[in-house]
Amino acid sequence: MRELCYLPEAMKNIDWFPLALSFRVALIATVLALIVGVALAWLLARRRFPGREMLDAVVTLPLVLPPTVLGYYLLMLLSRNSPVGRAIYTATGLQLVFTWQGAVIAAMIGALPLVVKTSRAAVESVNEQLEDAARTFGKSEWQIFWRITLPLSSRGIIAAAMLAFARALGDFGATLMIAGNIPGRTQTAAIAIYDATQSGHDDYALTLVIILSVIVLTLLYATNKLVGRTSLQ
Amino acid sequence: MISVRIKKQFRGRAEGRSLAIGDATRDARRDGFALLAEFDAPPGVTILFGPSGSGKTTTIKSIAGIIRPDEGHISINGHTLFDSAQGINVPIRERGTGLVFQNLALFPHMTALGNVEFATSGLSRPERRRRALELMERLRIKHTAERRPSEVSGGEAQRVALARALASKPRVLLLDEPLSAIDEATKQDIIGDLKMINRDLRLPVIYVTHNRDEAVMLGDYLIVYEQGQVVAAGEPLEIFGAPVVGSVARLTGVENLFEGVVLQRDAGAGTMTVRIKDESGACELDVPLGKEAQGANVMVAVRSGDILLATEELRQTSARNILPGEITAIEERGARSIVRVKSGVSWVVSVTWQAVSELKLAQGQHIWLAIKTNSCYLIAD
Repeated sequence: MRELCYLPEAMKNIDWFPLALSFRVALIATVLALIVGVALAWLLARRRFPGREMLDAVVTLPLVLPPTVLGYYLLMLLSRNSPVGRAIYTATGLQLVFTWQGAVIAAMIGALPLVVKTSRAAVESVNEQLEDAARTFGKSEWQIFWRITLPLSSRGIIAAAMLAFARALGDFGATLMIAGNIPGRTQTAAIAIYDATQSGHDDYALTLVIILSVIVLTLLYATNKLVGRTSLQ
Repeated sequence: MISVRIKKQFRGRAEGRSLAIGDATRDARRDGFALLAEFDAPPGVTILFGPSGSGKTTTIKSIAGIIRPDEGHISINGHTLFDSAQGINVPIRERGTGLVFQNLALFPHMTALGNVEFATSGLSRPERRRRALELMERLRIKHTAERRPSEVSGGEAQRVALARALASKPRVLLLDEPLSAIDEATKQDIIGDLKMINRDLRLPVIYVTHNRDEAVMLGDYLIVYEQGQVVAAGEPLEIFGAPVVGSVARLTGVENLFEGVVLQRDAGAGTMTVRIKDESGACELDVPLGKEAQGANVMVAVRSGDILLATEELRQTSARNILPGEITAIEERGARSIVRVKSGVSWVVSVTWQAVSELKLAQGQHIWLAIKTNSCYLIAD
């Protein structure tokens, strides 16, 4: 506990970059994971098509694969030697390997299963009869999604976003594999903690650990409160 | 004219009884259930009448496009919505059917006005709001405009659902047991509204119910369902008044249904005497002359509302059947009272509650039943 007394002192000349980067990465990754994840969740909850459960399994994979394996796949997929990586580079000029944008992709893939699982349950909890009713009024599937399904599953989707943000904030393995550990460029808080303990900067590591823990704990607590409340229906 | 010829088989489960306890009873009942519905509904209010699980809801959901029949044809005023032979299956949103679900399916996150406004389309925003408010005013629910569905009464919620269905300018209004959970007074009001809608908007209505009062009050045309099939169709009073099929008699609430034997025929008077019996006894009844020979078995049906009760023996009356008996029970059923009388067989008589109090009817009391010959129907079973 002695170290805690030094905390205010330590925070004065602390390097805030890794934390700021983690927030930026987690925020963008959450937004992307939400867009992709809610679309996938709707597809899995509301459409019958061959390979539906297979798709669910593939989307769940990042939850159980070792992060290094995930990072390896991403590295293979996104490097400028691969067709996908080359296509992204020619289309947008974005170089994803060893950049903070690569860290966004890694964090997003890690958060995706949480978004899909939580949002799918939220969409499935919406009474399909309401959507059928809207169809009889001549509404398009797009209108029904935005006016009926999304508002009625919003609580679950907000919970999904908070979980995704918490997960993205703490991504380590996959981020290290694809974005590397370049201080001031791609070093996120999670990686900086590892770096600091390895190089004996224990005060710095502890500061980051406590800040991250408090944020994630708050997010999880808020998520539980939100999901636990009786739903609108 | 709404023309429906559809067939739908609900898949049975391989292991007949492998249903888990949590399975919906509805699915359990649909185990291998088949629907074969054929009818033409004229303009006006058509009632789909029958016990629950007989296929009425499946029929209107097929018209709306929510359920896809295995085969058949559905058209409204010559406009085909479904035709398995031609491969036509118009999507729900292009069918123009105003469906009011049994549980109403109001959007819980919108206000009553929001619900109605949502169903309108093809207009500017203020136009849509004006139209929604106009419909709500017509159905006397304008005061609920800013309330959520959870904050309005059952009758108001019903009218919001109705206004919402009308807001989409449907070609036909489909109602699935809309009044089953509504009190009697509100029910009368809404039935009035439905008649007004049907008349003023010239909108055909298909109305699902198992309540005969609703069917008689509202229906221009009646279609009787039993176990997935249409067993009778025609004008409500015609069908309720002269049931010719035994199952229709039971379904349409002919409470007195007895087996009997023809004792003698009187061709001159146009009557015959039948000895009827049930588990509690037997008695003789004059019924209209049928083609059954002496000694033949027949079924006789008498509606509970067609029987007169008298506290003294009627001497000067045209009714041919005057039967002495004893009241075994009196039950209140809304505006009517059901009087059970034992006179040879057990009779069910329906009278107003005023009659019960004015005649001071009581259990155990001696009473006379008067039944006209023409109130007795011979049933082909």
